Amino acid sequence: MPVFQTWDEFARAAEKLYLTDPMKVRVVLKYRHCDGSLCIKVTDNAVCLQYKTDQAQDVKKIEKLHGKLMRLMVSKETHSGAMETD
Amino acid sequence: MVLLENDSFLTELTRLFQKCRTSGSVVITLKKYDGRTKPVPRKGHLESFEPADNKCLIRASDGKKKISTVVSTKEVIKFQMAYSNLLRAHMDGLKKKDKKSKSKKTKATQ
Repeated sequence: MPVFQTWDEFARAAEKLYLTDPMKVRVVLKYRHCDGSLCIKVTDNAVCLQYKTDQAQDVKKIEKLHGKLMRLMVSKETHSGAMETD
Repeated sequence: MVLLENDSFLTELTRLFQKCRTSGSVVITLKKYDGRTKPVPRKGHLESFEPADNKCLIRASDGKKKISTVVSTKEVIKFQMAYSNLLRAHMDGLKKKDKKSKSKKTKATQ
């Protein structure tokens, strides 16, 4: 159940995991304002990838990845063709 | 679990964030959804269900209150814009890393 230290590795692993089985994968976002922490988890109930942060600069990255996965989920394509790289 | 329209979901999500500013967490879950409304049938039974491919389910909770919404391809663009703005506006309690010290204004006080 790896917790990633770098955002890039996490983002790549998360997208890869999603593409292996879109129906199984879920993305969980947990924000605690009182602690000033944000945690994102991507799992297919077998593999679990996590990234935790307390840095404001990561909010944008996390929100972009979230949006990207959302768009992947609603698109009818079987694999992401032209995805803009962050 | 309350299933809402996209706009109501965003409104309620704003409220969840506001409520949890002093304590507690907001948990948001995103998952691909194939539109099924009935449980998966047991083996041997025929599944007369056509899975839809263009929807996702978004859930949010503050530990007590739960809300959810379904977003499909037609709504995703509008929803995602509003949703991103919402996240960025509310997730502002994190540490800001400024390499340059903010004390640029070292004006001598008069």
